[in-house]
Amino acid sequence: MTKRAAGARLFGPYWTSLIAAAGIYAAVLPLLRAEESTGPPPPGSYMLDHIQRVPAGIVLERTRFPRALSRYTTGAITLFAFFYSYCADPNGCPLAWDAFGKMREEIIARPELHGRVRLVFMSLDPAHDTPGMLTGFARRFEASASIVPWHFLTTYSNLFLKPVLRDMGEEISIDREASVGGGVVINHLPKVFLIDNQGFVREIYSNQSLDPAMILGDIKTLLLEESKANGHKE
Amino acid sequence: MKGCARYALVAGMIAAASASAAPVARADETCLSPYTAALIKGQEAYLHVWTLGEEGLGDQSDKLVTIDADPKSKTYGKVVSSVSVGGRGEAHHMGFTDDRKYLWAGRLDDSNIFIFDIGTDPSKPRLVNTIADFAERTGFVGPHTFYAIPGRMVIGSLSNDKTRDGVTGLAVYNNKGEFLSAHPMPAGNGGDGYGYDIAINPKKNVLLTSSFTGWNNYMMDLGKLIKDAEAMKHFGNTMVLWNLKSMQPEKIFSVPGAPLEIRWSLKEGDDWAITASALTSKLWLVSHDANDEWQANEVATIGDPAKIPLPVDISISADAKTLWVNTFMDGTTHLFDISDPTKPVQIYEKVTGKQVNMISQSFDGKRVYITSSLLSSWDKKGADNEQVLRAYDWDGKDLKLKFEVDFLAEKLGRPHHMKFSGLLEKASLDMPARAASR
Repeated sequence: MTKRAAGARLFGPYWTSLIAAAGIYAAVLPLLRAEESTGPPPPGSYMLDHIQRVPAGIVLERTRFPRALSRYTTGAITLFAFFYSYCADPNGCPLAWDAFGKMREEIIARPELHGRVRLVFMSLDPAHDTPGMLTGFARRFEASASIVPWHFLTTYSNLFLKPVLRDMGEEISIDREASVGGGVVINHLPKVFLIDNQGFVREIYSNQSLDPAMILGDIKTLLLEESKANGHKE
Repeated sequence: MKGCARYALVAGMIAAASASAAPVARADETCLSPYTAALIKGQEAYLHVWTLGEEGLGDQSDKLVTIDADPKSKTYGKVVSSVSVGGRGEAHHMGFTDDRKYLWAGRLDDSNIFIFDIGTDPSKPRLVNTIADFAERTGFVGPHTFYAIPGRMVIGSLSNDKTRDGVTGLAVYNNKGEFLSAHPMPAGNGGDGYGYDIAINPKKNVLLTSSFTGWNNYMMDLGKLIKDAEAMKHFGNTMVLWNLKSMQPEKIFSVPGAPLEIRWSLKEGDDWAITASALTSKLWLVSHDANDEWQANEVATIGDPAKIPLPVDISISADAKTLWVNTFMDGTTHLFDISDPTKPVQIYEKVTGKQVNMISQSFDGKRVYITSSLLSSWDKKGADNEQVLRAYDWDGKDLKLKFEVDFLAEKLGRPHHMKFSGLLEKASLDMPARAASR
């Protein structure tokens, strides 16, 4: 007999009682619910945390006239993402473009959402993505601007961009290896921020969670929350 | 006489093990939150080791120790920096924020949480924030698991600040360290309220939790604990399936014997997770059944449960074909073939220390790291209280020791949880390359 086996035998009752206790628990444990439901929960049946307030910042749209970032992050529900116009990383901006495109279609298809949600892209490369350059993107979506506006923002320089990135928790770096061939690759997490009409970030989606059905549910949850708050006021 | 004393010590440790469910760690590159950016798929540059201070040893403080892990470096295998945080509060586990810039590290006794800047210079982490009111904010104590979700950290706790038993919950903080919400573990209707690990499957909108024990037990001297029959009943026997979006528990699985680390398969298309129950020495699989409902099933035995091996940390390979398992009591590192996760088979084992707890592997599976400490009150005593980090190469057949750091000889303490980092990233907005190229 090994010493360990002897030891196990010596202290066996404790071990045995513990395992026995575990077995009893196993025998009596029922399920919490008879049915599981791990898909998107019904809108309004859950709460979204107030993750953080969108920081102050100066942005540019169409012209070099300065505007407060809050103009684009309050007063309506906002889907906000950072991008840069020449980004081709399949795990980066294209995911955000795709998600925003799908959300735009979803909103257009739902009259109750018209005028209540805006889409905002903000450039990570203000030197390249000038207001004039980004106007070309905005024009593509002007036809539906009254239903679901899509804003393309930039700012004067990195000096103005850095504080916004820092406070939004968007970490970026220049991929020098990938940039050697000519163009620049800006590494960044493809985050999409859901912002309520008060300017609070209420959800953040990554490339793991950019699910239009989930985003739509969250938007409806915020609208129900707004409705409830307005009802209480009245 | 000497032999008798030694026998008594060994016997005591074995019995002690029977009462313990080793709190171990999510440590390695294949076991990070799926929301974590920039996985290191090549050679890791540094190991960050959250280390328990030891009375009478060095500065006696808990500390984050950074070790050079790059074989091409002149300081390979050496400690390159150490950040002491002051005091001893049962340093335990760590977790990166989603952007991998910050590393959160918790203490199970005083519930302090330390946030280190790793991204600016991974060779020299800096303490940038301390959360000292976790218990007041959440009602929980023993912040254990730090699991990144976008812009936030989900913290799994082990106990509460009223009874200090195992009833506890999850807390959510934003990346700035501000408390957002608390979510109690289900207690009643089959739930035992205990907590331990967290693991998320984003595609399925599912969060899994496991269960260990409370402050009253994990801070108790092991010799005393094993004589307390009532205390020894207070270990978790459940796993909980949560709706990730609503943070509501959906289903409770009976998993007897303190299920600890949870690892989702990283293989595309897979939707299963595996865990090890410490007290019963089993592997459990959480997966869909034929009716497309989540179930938990026992699928394998680890060692000889009668010998109380006490499986602690596990590490899944990136291709989900193999699983490393450390068993604390016999100091053995096991490798299971889990290519059929319903029938894991052990294919290798090696004694890697007098006591082994954590195990972390590189994403390519070629390097494996282990540490020795379990809990300050539960580690072995005397000559068996080896406190080391060992680094191995895995060639598919054998673990080959590359270097080790003796944390007692270096006067550092007890090494627990490990995280990897890469070489300094170029976190800059300056774009000279583009300017030149255009």
